[in-house]
Amino acid sequence: MNSEDKNISLPIVSAEGVSLAYGEYVVLHDVTFNAIRGQALVVMGGSGCGKSTLLKSLVGLLEPVSGAIRYGDQDFWASDNQKRDEISRRFGILYQGGALWSSMSLLENVSFPLEMYTELSPKEVREIAEYKLSLVGLSGFGGFRPAQLSGGMRKRGGLARAMSLDPEILFFDEPSAGLDPLSSRRLDDLILELKETLGITFIVVTHELPSIFAIADDSIFLDAETKTLLACGHPATLRDECPEEKVRRFLLRQSNLS
Amino acid sequence: MTEEQGQSPLARMNCKVEEGVLHCRFTGRWTIDTAKRETSRGSWRRALTDKKDIRKVSFEIGKGVGWDSVLVVFIRSCLSDCKESKLSVDMSRLPSGLCKLFLMTEEKLMDKVELDGGEPGFLTAVGELIFAAAEAILSSVHFLGEWTLSLFRLFRFKARFRASDFLDSCRACGASALPIVTLVSFLTGLTMAFVGSVQLAKFNARIYVADLVSLAMVREMGGLMVAIVMAGRTGAAFAAELGNMKLNEEIDSLRTFGISPMDFLILPRTLALFVMIPMLTLYADVVGMLGGMVVGLFVMDFSLHHYIEQTQTALSSMWDIYSGLAKTIFFGGIIGLVGCKKGLNCGNDSAALGEAVTSAVVTSITLVVVADALFEVFYSIMGWR
Repeated sequence: MNSEDKNISLPIVSAEGVSLAYGEYVVLHDVTFNAIRGQALVVMGGSGCGKSTLLKSLVGLLEPVSGAIRYGDQDFWASDNQKRDEISRRFGILYQGGALWSSMSLLENVSFPLEMYTELSPKEVREIAEYKLSLVGLSGFGGFRPAQLSGGMRKRGGLARAMSLDPEILFFDEPSAGLDPLSSRRLDDLILELKETLGITFIVVTHELPSIFAIADDSIFLDAETKTLLACGHPATLRDECPEEKVRRFLLRQSNLS
Repeated sequence: MTEEQGQSPLARMNCKVEEGVLHCRFTGRWTIDTAKRETSRGSWRRALTDKKDIRKVSFEIGKGVGWDSVLVVFIRSCLSDCKESKLSVDMSRLPSGLCKLFLMTEEKLMDKVELDGGEPGFLTAVGELIFAAAEAILSSVHFLGEWTLSLFRLFRFKARFRASDFLDSCRACGASALPIVTLVSFLTGLTMAFVGSVQLAKFNARIYVADLVSLAMVREMGGLMVAIVMAGRTGAAFAAELGNMKLNEEIDSLRTFGISPMDFLILPRTLALFVMIPMLTLYADVVGMLGGMVVGLFVMDFSLHHYIEQTQTALSSMWDIYSGLAKTIFFGGIIGLVGCKKGLNCGNDSAALGEAVTSAVVTSITLVVVADALFEVFYSIMGWR
């Protein structure tokens, strides 16, 4: 998407001056960014820079110490519990290990949110769940328990569950972690396909360079040292033109640029 | 790493001083499988302290000397001595591989993160202990409050969990526990009868063994034994299960779907214990009495009719049974809530999971015993015993 388009697109998710801390230990401060509808925003940075913490705060698991997170024009953390639940239903999350509920089969995992939040008949729920599983290439595995699936399949199962309520936004926490290069590539392709066909907005936390360059329309770089957002823009632009040497080094995978 | 043919296996360092320069030459095998190196360290120390006119230290290594981390560590300690004595060092005659290894560790040393604070003082430690205790009590009260709210939601048909989860929990903490409960309570009854028979024989009141066993089982031992077995079995299982779910981010994913883990995971488990523990206790009471009866019939030679009649007389008031069962509902609550809380508050690594399980068992057994004592005191104050 070019910059002209960006101007007319409204951010679907935005963070304004968000600071995050565990107790007294500050992880990030004053982070501001926008995620544009239908785009993939990659949150990148070295280990321990607070990427996953930021994700936690975006999805309602960790309240920021200051600043605001908005979905459209709604302030997420200033809303009451009911409102927050309603906003939560607009997004889906794929956790690092898939986080499928171990006491349920794959099909039950995908259908459970539908049973909870829709008035659909059991037959419709089952059909939708099977359709979501086939979307991620897992049709026929509905009866399997999470423990019987491989790491890659669990992740795709987690993705099917994240998409169960047809969310507008999908959050991914390290989608490539623990996957072989091919499975990781397949997951990237799946993200691109879903983005194009369903128009879902993706917010992906990752430090895998191939994934970053493959899927990102926009990116933000978090820095562990300064605990701030160091740069934002398209990864290729940042790699070539970012004034911050740290960002260029990260994207070029070089320990120094001299 | 090489070895010179026919050389002495001992690690040696020869030191000599020439024009203010201390030349240290390493020979022999400087590897982890060579035990004796003390002489080298001694000679190094002597060389440093004896010769006051040294300005510089030069290290070199004999041709083909076998070395590994042992030599690197030794030279590192020498270098720190040199730094202390402000001597310059020449390492140009050491093999480049060794120098590189040494430099790598030097860089890592510079990266070392400074951890804050040393040993806290006595007052600080006491203060921290008090705060930790207060926090633990507060979080328990908070947990209990949340659980109570969740129970109210259930009564208003607003809390949702899967019936299959409740039934699974009932099976896991009820039917599956029958064999162990049978064994433990049977042996408890049997042991009490043996101990009682010896004492009661002194007063020629042996038939009161039936009273002793039946009353002790229904008032005290049945419930207590079941609670202890359940704490070790079910409480630990709850903590491990929920802790593992937390590690796998399953709890987070429930929360982000707007599903309360309290309603969905903890309510069915604790309710299952509430329902199953009194039933198991009733069963344990009967099996314990059977254990006593075995001693009565086969060791003390009472007739079956006589023994049962005596037991019936002892249990003429149903209150003894009810008061025993009433306690167990509380025991069930303690075990279920402690197990679930420990699991849910578990840290993010496998060691924390182990700690959570251990702590769940120890805490619930302790609380059960304390609660039991409180109940007995309460019953006697009220004149119900």
